[in-house]
Amino acid sequence: MAIRIASFLVIICAALSAQPLIAGNALMPAGTSVAVAKSTLTVTPEREWNRLSARPGRNSETWTLDGDDLNGVNFYSIETARALFREVSKRTKPLPRFSSTMLLTDIPALLENSYRIALGTTLFSMTNIEPVPFLGAKGVRFSYSFRKQMEDVSRNGEAVGAIVNGRLYLMSFDAPAILYFDRDVATFRQIVSSARLESLPMAARR
Amino acid sequence: MRYAFGYAVLCLLLGCLSPTAMAQEKSAVRQGFALDPNSTKILLFRPKVTVGSQSTAGMFEPNADWTQQARDNLDVALAEAQQSLGNEIVGSVDVAGQQAESLAEYQSLFGIVAQSVIEFQFFPGNRLPTKKREGAAFDWTLGPGVSALASRSGARYGLFIFTEDQFGSTGRKIFQVFAAMGGVGIQSGQHKGFAGLVDLNGGDLLWLNADLQMGGDVRTIDGARRRVAQLLEDFPGSSISLAAAQ
Amino acid sequence: MRRALSRAIPPLALALPVAASAASAPADLPPYTQAYQPQGTDERGLWMLADEDERNLRDSKFVINDPALQAYVGGVLCRAVGEDRCRGVRIYLVRVASFNANMAPNGTMQLWSGLLLRVRSEAELAAVLGHEFAHFELRHSLAGFRQRRSATDIAAWASFLGQYGPAIQQTAIGSIFQFNREQEKQADLLSLKYAIQSPYSAQAASHIWQRLMGEADATALGRKQRSQRYDRVAFFATHPTNLDRATYLSTLSADVAVKPEAAESYSTALAKWLPEFLSDQLKLNDFGGTEYLLASLAGEHWTAPLLFARAELYRQRGNPRDLVAAADFYRSALGADPDMADAWRGLGLCLMRDRQQVEGTVALKNYIRLRPQAADISMLHAMIGE
Repeated sequence: MAIRIASFLVIICAALSAQPLIAGNALMPAGTSVAVAKSTLTVTPEREWNRLSARPGRNSETWTLDGDDLNGVNFYSIETARALFREVSKRTKPLPRFSSTMLLTDIPALLENSYRIALGTTLFSMTNIEPVPFLGAKGVRFSYSFRKQMEDVSRNGEAVGAIVNGRLYLMSFDAPAILYFDRDVATFRQIVSSARLESLPMAARR
Repeated sequence: MRYAFGYAVLCLLLGCLSPTAMAQEKSAVRQGFALDPNSTKILLFRPKVTVGSQSTAGMFEPNADWTQQARDNLDVALAEAQQSLGNEIVGSVDVAGQQAESLAEYQSLFGIVAQSVIEFQFFPGNRLPTKKREGAAFDWTLGPGVSALASRSGARYGLFIFTEDQFGSTGRKIFQVFAAMGGVGIQSGQHKGFAGLVDLNGGDLLWLNADLQMGGDVRTIDGARRRVAQLLEDFPGSSISLAAAQ
Repeated sequence: MRRALSRAIPPLALALPVAASAASAPADLPPYTQAYQPQGTDERGLWMLADEDERNLRDSKFVINDPALQAYVGGVLCRAVGEDRCRGVRIYLVRVASFNANMAPNGTMQLWSGLLLRVRSEAELAAVLGHEFAHFELRHSLAGFRQRRSATDIAAWASFLGQYGPAIQQTAIGSIFQFNREQEKQADLLSLKYAIQSPYSAQAASHIWQRLMGEADATALGRKQRSQRYDRVAFFATHPTNLDRATYLSTLSADVAVKPEAAESYSTALAKWLPEFLSDQLKLNDFGGTEYLLASLAGEHWTAPLLFARAELYRQRGNPRDLVAAADFYRSALGADPDMADAWRGLGLCLMRDRQQVEGTVALKNYIRLRPQAADISMLHAMIGE
């Protein structure tokens, strides 16, 4: 029996520790249009990015230059009654859900509350909320600053979103306030300015 | 259900969920970097040193005496090693208020950067495509703001050190033998550390060494010397002098 | 899983060193030494880690920097456990939106803002502080550590015992939590002794647990989950069930002389922070629990900040009927305090989401007038078509 447990263990351990090996982060080349967040939302980056194989949720993905803790861009395409990203615990820490009847001012609140719950933090503040055209619709751009629970590094964020045909399209950028945010936010804004909604579903991703 | 629980417990106990020895790079130096021959004063930030033992099940038990011994030994060994390189080491003084906050923020940022290097450049399976291709630069930084931390000391470089040692208890070692009979390899004791050198002028990470399996019993001065030699392995300009310490 | 527990092999399970001092009536206070220095390898090791943690905590942005509130809480602690005892403690008020407090072996006490929000009187605060202090005085961190070590050792060995292994592991791991429950009970009983000698009502302690049960039930109901059962100890519960606590605390304190609760001085001390702590709570996506908490804070008198919080809660959930209720609450809050800018904002957005564009615009204009520098001002200008 001991050996049976042991062999199970080996399999479990192998499965768990092998995960990062199977994973493949992908190169997002400069100047090439690419559909993001398993949706018709497409962007054209002017510089190279890395797409992480780990997704924050079903219809979302993360790009980064140096690691998502240093400079991370998240793309979301969220339908009504869904949360922004995967819940840590559906039972004890459920995340707020998007609703297509939300006003644009509810979008910053949706992101703030999701972050507060997921990161277990109380230090989160909105520093600016303003109207901006996005994806051919009325959109909202907002800036914020926050800290992860009991962490000494202060982080800044910026996001742009709009509700189109009842679906929330949102892009956000988070980085440490020291150096990283100011250095890299321009490349995020470039991606935002390149965003389009394709009318026809794009072919499956490579 | 109950078996699943058992396996989960066992997995945790054996520590197989932590990223262990996989083929992984351990250190890197920024391209074209050489120590400034005119100014080799190095500011050592309060090293994070934890030493303790590991019970049979692998629970960490902190040991204050060992930690203090290790701290003292490492200080001595570091000074020796750097002296033999012709570098001067200065310790960071205890600061308060605004300065303490700034120091804490940079130490925390260093941890995040080091973790990102390990996860996205050293660890082969998870490497970022832009970091793994042929000739990709080792290009990481804390930003030029870090120079504020150095203004008083007049140091040119900053050295961050983190070590954690868990010595296997007797029970843990016996358990290891039994586990091996059952065909399971478990670790007795855990010794990991990383060290990084930062340019205090521009904030660039010049060199990083991360090892999840370190040698040297830091509770003794000889062990501490060995650990320091290992931590400073590949330290810029170190190849000859440090070999002597081993 | 629960069935497996009852089939656990008794000898090993019984061998676990569970300190089972049953609940007994309060006796004399245990001896107390000041400026205690840690003894032995494991105790000194734990103090070292606690010192290192405190070093980090001291500079953390999560610590609430309010000397007045700090001094107030310190004063309550001293009255709760006595002047000589309270000097060994450093209190840190930490901004975390849950009900918790803890005490490290070196005398670092953390109180979370979610606890300050839920406590309603000095007497209740004294009960909580006394409880944490009792852990310190009884040196529970150390005892807990020693017990955890032997229990996990047994679990490790049990993995070689074939099919009975998992059951023993469960029992051994479970005993960690069992031991924890015993410690909690001991601390409750010692803190009751402090309370009897203090100027505060000893009945207060049981009120806290009764309200926490109500809130947990309301949270579960709001999330369409089953209510927690208070008559049975969950396997992983680290604390006695709240019903258990409320019962033995109220029984033991029943015949003690009635002393003041000091509810008003508490709410005065906390007034400045109440809107902040309420705002943290509102963002936790817990409709049922928050509704219960607000009602219990209001009692028979809904103040403007509480009405505003309730309005925000309903607007967030955002069903059509919620928007109607929220608008009513905003209007009541504004009736009590017409200059409450955030209430005008909430009312305006609430009406707009309910497709009452004209009325919504009027309300938002009031907000813009009162807060011309607000972070979202340009967004709101756009929404009213300016």
